[in-house]
Amino acid sequence: MDRRTFLKLSGSCAISISAGCNSEPAKHLFSMVRAPQDMVAGQPTWYATTCRECPAGCGMLAKIREGRVIKVEGNPLHAINRGRLCMRGQATLQGIYNPDRIKTALLKHNGKFKPISYARALSLLAQRSRQAADRGPDRVYVLTESVGEFVHAHFSKTLAALNSTRLMVFEPFAYEALKTANRQIFGLDGLCAYRMQTADLIVSLGADFLETWLSPVEYARKFKAMHAARGNAKTGRFFHIGPYRSLTAANADRWLACRPGAEAFVAMGLIRQALNAGAGGALGPAAQQTLRELTAGYRLEKVAAVSGISTDILQHLSQVMLASRRPLFLGTPSAACGPNALQANIGANLLQRILDPELQRIDFNGRHRVETAHRRSEIYSFCRQLAADPQGVLLLHNANLRHCLPPQNGIARALAEKTLFTVSFSNFMDATTRHADLVLPVRLPLESWGEYGGKAGLVSTLQPAMPALTGAPHLVDVLAALIPDVRPGGRYARHSLYTHLKHTGVLRNRLQWTQTLQKGGIFQKFAAEDRPPLPELAEGPHMDALRAMVPPQAGGLSLIAAPSIRVFDGRGANRPWLSEIPDPLTKVAWQTPVQVHPATLAQRGLAQGSVVRVQSEKGVLETPAYASHGTIPDVLIMEIGQGHAGFGRYAQKESVNPFHLFPARTDARSGGPAFYTPLTTIKDSGQRADIVHTDGSRTQHGRQIALAVPVSDLVEGKRPPAPGLTMETFPLTLPLPAGYDKKRDFYPAHPHSRYRWSMIVDLDRCIGCGACAAACYAENNLAVVGKARMLEGREMSWMRIERYLDPEHPERVIFLPMLCQHCDNAPCEPVCPVYAPHHSKEGINNQIYNRCIGTRFCSQNCPYKVRRFNWFDWQRPDPLPLQLNPDVTVRAKGVMEKCSFCVQRIKDAHDRAKNAKRAVFDGEVTPACAQTCPTQALTFGNLMDPHSRVARLVHNPRAYQVMGYLNTKPAVIYLKKVIWEG
Amino acid sequence: MRQNRTPILLIIGCLALAGAFLYLFYVQPQAGIGAPQPIPFSHRLHAGVKRIACQFCHSYVGRSRHPGIPPVEKCLFCHQYIIARHPQILKEHRYFDTGTPTPWRKVNYLPEHVLFNHQRHIRKQIACRQCHGKIEAMDRIAGKRFKMGFCIKCHKRKGANVGCWLACHS
Repeated sequence: MDRRTFLKLSGSCAISISAGCNSEPAKHLFSMVRAPQDMVAGQPTWYATTCRECPAGCGMLAKIREGRVIKVEGNPLHAINRGRLCMRGQATLQGIYNPDRIKTALLKHNGKFKPISYARALSLLAQRSRQAADRGPDRVYVLTESVGEFVHAHFSKTLAALNSTRLMVFEPFAYEALKTANRQIFGLDGLCAYRMQTADLIVSLGADFLETWLSPVEYARKFKAMHAARGNAKTGRFFHIGPYRSLTAANADRWLACRPGAEAFVAMGLIRQALNAGAGGALGPAAQQTLRELTAGYRLEKVAAVSGISTDILQHLSQVMLASRRPLFLGTPSAACGPNALQANIGANLLQRILDPELQRIDFNGRHRVETAHRRSEIYSFCRQLAADPQGVLLLHNANLRHCLPPQNGIARALAEKTLFTVSFSNFMDATTRHADLVLPVRLPLESWGEYGGKAGLVSTLQPAMPALTGAPHLVDVLAALIPDVRPGGRYARHSLYTHLKHTGVLRNRLQWTQTLQKGGIFQKFAAEDRPPLPELAEGPHMDALRAMVPPQAGGLSLIAAPSIRVFDGRGANRPWLSEIPDPLTKVAWQTPVQVHPATLAQRGLAQGSVVRVQSEKGVLETPAYASHGTIPDVLIMEIGQGHAGFGRYAQKESVNPFHLFPARTDARSGGPAFYTPLTTIKDSGQRADIVHTDGSRTQHGRQIALAVPVSDLVEGKRPPAPGLTMETFPLTLPLPAGYDKKRDFYPAHPHSRYRWSMIVDLDRCIGCGACAAACYAENNLAVVGKARMLEGREMSWMRIERYLDPEHPERVIFLPMLCQHCDNAPCEPVCPVYAPHHSKEGINNQIYNRCIGTRFCSQNCPYKVRRFNWFDWQRPDPLPLQLNPDVTVRAKGVMEKCSFCVQRIKDAHDRAKNAKRAVFDGEVTPACAQTCPTQALTFGNLMDPHSRVARLVHNPRAYQVMGYLNTKPAVIYLKKVIWEG
Repeated sequence: MRQNRTPILLIIGCLALAGAFLYLFYVQPQAGIGAPQPIPFSHRLHAGVKRIACQFCHSYVGRSRHPGIPPVEKCLFCHQYIIARHPQILKEHRYFDTGTPTPWRKVNYLPEHVLFNHQRHIRKQIACRQCHGKIEAMDRIAGKRFKMGFCIKCHKRKGANVGCWLACHS
């Protein structure tokens, strides 16, 4: 035997031993015991329910496959979100399937939790609360997040049976300043809604309505309804005034960076301008006179000096405002920052009354449910009372006070007392639940019956989309068990919801009940507006407040805690998708570094990545610094939501909690907290940390990636340059046989018979919120790789939002959703030695996972960098795999993957069409990203159909292809953003 | 001959062992009749002798990608009356009463990256036996590991979709 034969034989032996000897897969097929009526194996079932990830209350449809929720989508019938969801809504799934979810009741014994049964926990709770009730009135306390009428009524009933009235609703963002201003100026004790879509100008004094403010999905839609370009025109304008660039500010036509607290001064200056221009007649002469006197000192030059905004820009704003016919003025952010938050809101509301005397932009009926939250001052006094007299039973329902409040508020002391029996209904071991005596997890919203109308006047129901994963009881069952003579369990929760809706008069019969559950609620229009009488403005507490305005701090550093679009107040921090998807503006994943202006960093000899010690009167934090143009030099920004003590593996040990630097103080007039504190020092700790940012570069280096066009060019119909072969002149080339040019193309054109799938991305509509990315993670079984792997650039996102700063004006931002471009002339295809990227007859660039051998040539050759390689078999701790979409392969180690245009949905549509013997119609296929986009920036369809939306949109003069000059002929066609000059 | 006895015996022993292995693996009476199931259900009896239509038990096959396997209650619809006291039927009753799903052994195997759609094939009038063989003649289903060539051959012959993602993978 010669050497070659020996090697051949031993090689083939080794291969046959390793490959040939795989045994019969030890797999079972489990039959059901009873087949549910609505379940067909392999077909999804949809249930309408309501999102409870924030107080907005969007309608949600849960997609069930084989008894498990695998995806959530917005409910198209719902009045609030019209079928769209934000990334927090998409991540609801990772709450129920969270590996750190508490699976049993826990009782604290000698400082350690021991598992007990739900029944035992329930009887213990009943016994302790009865004992507390017997000891005297008001000995049982409830501290809950904002809940719907239904649960609220149950809390009240239980408390009444236990001889108590102490029901506190805690929301970290409770809009105290806005509520106070609404009462003083609009006569409305609560939170009105805004008819943003009817405005032609929005001036926001910081309101971050695209991220967390009141109802972000709803306002994102309404904002784009007024602001997006229509045809060859754009009328809506949006000015944002605030010390830092939130996502909302980044979407404004102008972000006017001011000192914290100066927003109110700008408002005063604008009131003065408006009054001088003769507006405000509707206020009455007395009020006009007082306001005139009050604002006399706020000449624009003075306002400019105080706020740090230039006089020219203020002058411009004032002109635009006076020219506007339907202006809308919004107040401060959810986390109202700066010392004059109340005054800023009063100013905004005054401007509204002056320039919109009929208040047509204000919707007094659709009041936001979060208005039921108690003011922070009331929460603090509750905590103090509890600390002073810690007796009785405290029931906590998703109120994470230890995380969301600055320390020194008394709650820590109260929780530590043995005489106060604390029960947490939380499913997660968060900072507050850790200190409870009994943890009695209740069903999460996707498993519960309930009702949560995010806005007054609409009913939005919740129904169990799947059986309780952990066997936990319903919250209402637990509460009812504390009332003598009530026997909950069984169908009690469902029945009590029915009775509740019947008693409130919204249901007349059983049929309507079924219809309501199917639709997800009742969303009828209001007959007439129920508007409170407008208060007289000549004198009153608002004038006192305006007179007591304090000038913003000039010089010296301060810190603002900014609400996070990803994790809200921190409640989403244990959902790995939300941490993995980078922040839209910093592009930092997992961490929340302190954002410092580059000038401030340079001045102190620091750089991005330096770990700094940030010190305030109340505490000190060590955290890496991020160089950001999204703030003014004296102001540091830190996102709220990380720095959890506990809360599971995904939240623990991530970054720091900025609230540790804040005093537990509230504003005397509004009772609201300041999410703002002056800093004493910021020092270099000498250490350096890696920042997990995914952006690579902040600018486009002139490569024609994300493009914008001035409004004037659009209106004038400026012609594109004559077609050529340069970066600027390369013509738009459609990915169709018609796009073949024998001078430019090496390969022949791809034939398509009936379909050529394509996507249009309107950059003028994209707000960069990242909902699309989250939906993609959910739909396509994308892996979460974690911080360490992300630092190596190994994130797996198929859809990402690219954020580019203008090199000359780094405060200006443009967002670009980037996904596989499904090029007609795809650079990935010819370089693969095994033909794994493959062009389908419908134009989709397929990636055949089982054929891929992992050379990664395709990724190297892809100019858009949208291909992702599986360097590892990614971990999904149980029960996260239950969320996986069974229609999409879970990719293994060593395989390249990328966006498929949600081919599983295309196949579903083909199936439906074939069954009905017709063609797939326009709009029948919607990829997950386009489905959830709150502003409808993404349109998907068939380019071969001349009547489809995409085929019409490609003729838009704004249409272009990203790096089309490479002759890749992408099927993703972008429409340029439209910007106002000046 | 004598001095070669040991090696010859050794060779004969080896051949005998190999023969026994081959017999047990391929020819042995139980080979090829499929895995034993928790309930000795006979397809030959139900589909062959009694001529119960496949779709009666695998009722989703015409409306979904999965054919579905019958729920325990469906077995009992008949077996409450037919051989109701048979010990295996009593076992079935126990599954039903305790709400335990029956752990059937999977016999047909398709790799995880293939998404086969039964509905499409049923609608195209492809008979079950074309892929699954003579089920009505098997007590225990032998099962099959389906390989790509098997699919492609037929798809090509019939001019069916051979697009990678559009047809089978995703």
